[in-house]
Amino acid sequence: MASEAHDDTQLRKFQKELSAGTVSLALLAVLGRAGEPMYGYQIAKTLERVGDGVLSGKQSALYPVLRNLEAAGLLDSSVEPSDAGPPRRYYRITAMGRVALRERAAAWRATRDSVDAVLEGTCE
Amino acid sequence: MNSQRLPSTIPEYLEHLRRSLAGADPALIHDALYDAEEYLRSELAENPGRSEAEVIAAVASSYGAPEEVADIYRDTETTVQTALRTPPPRERRSVLARFFGVFADPRAYASLFYMLLSLATGVFYFCWVITGFSIGLGLSITIIGIPLLILFFGSVRVLSLVEGRIVEVMLGERMPRRPLYTVRGRSLWQRIGDMFTDPRTWSTLLYFVLMLPLGIVYFTLAVSLLATSVSCIITPLMVWTGMATTNLQINGWHMLHVDNGIASTSLSGWSLPLVLVGGILLLFATMHIARGIGRLHGLLAKHLLVKTAQYA
Repeated sequence: MASEAHDDTQLRKFQKELSAGTVSLALLAVLGRAGEPMYGYQIAKTLERVGDGVLSGKQSALYPVLRNLEAAGLLDSSVEPSDAGPPRRYYRITAMGRVALRERAAAWRATRDSVDAVLEGTCE
Repeated sequence: MNSQRLPSTIPEYLEHLRRSLAGADPALIHDALYDAEEYLRSELAENPGRSEAEVIAAVASSYGAPEEVADIYRDTETTVQTALRTPPPRERRSVLARFFGVFADPRAYASLFYMLLSLATGVFYFCWVITGFSIGLGLSITIIGIPLLILFFGSVRVLSLVEGRIVEVMLGERMPRRPLYTVRGRSLWQRIGDMFTDPRTWSTLLYFVLMLPLGIVYFTLAVSLLATSVSCIITPLMVWTGMATTNLQINGWHMLHVDNGIASTSLSGWSLPLVLVGGILLLFATMHIARGIGRLHGLLAKHLLVKTAQYA
């Protein structure tokens, strides 16, 4: 296919699908590395800094995912008062979350390797 | 990009977001507003040198403009929420299959359990509200009454959140997962005043008072329907397996009487098959009643604990 035929909305849709599948893994990884509980804004900013803006969907999309991970028992949370504003909800990873993180990281690496292998030799 | 005026303060942004989410589930609006406020306040606290308007303008690209945020929450709700919820049972075709299909519906069991639990929670809520309110009000002529009353109103908000979680888990009605923020920038006294003028505070109190009679009715219905149908089912089975004798009256008519390990019934043998069929039908009807009551109660809880706050 000629590159001028490339459709911007199609590319954006593809990026959105990619990030939808991986954002929960990224959130688990951020919380798995952090030694202490983090609140939503901190998590979003860490992801922005470390992820180099690759997972740069709108950060509001992270909050519902955090809540769903908590509902699935992979994260645990508590509300604590803050001196700089309203009380914050702090998230920390659970033992189940660590297991899920290991499994999903392995699944991700397998996917990445096989996609890389298929892409090998295609034009840039 | 947008002809609408961009918000320049946090309350304006939240108001804009609320408008963009108009028509969505009130509980979803509640969560979306809570998350946005946390992000905005944190961003503002991180950038002490910048004005509120500058911070909000910057946030539009990182967190998203109100319309985008609204779209994201709507999307996630439809995809993830439906994935997390227990799958709805397949539509069964015939009336008969639909009637008996209720046994495969987890929602019916959860509702039945809620009906039994509601007696305990209902008594607790009622006592808490009546005791707290009357002690607070009674003592308000002295100095300790007012702080007691304020503490009491705070505790009612926490209880309302707890009941919301119970209702969502058991009855499947989406309820808020985050407490409601008080409006920032108001003094402590103004915030205390808000607590008394907020219509949700009063509707929550009403709900908790109603929970006692409702809990009693739910519990009584559940227990008597279950007991009747189960005894109608096991009596014929016990007679046919030789564990109980028929046509026996001990101090009046009874369905099943167990004394010193000897079981008996006042029914005569020919009526046993009819009783068995009736018991089975009643058991299924009980499940239907439980599911229906669960659905109605979910709506009531949503109306009194959530809805009024969203449209006030």
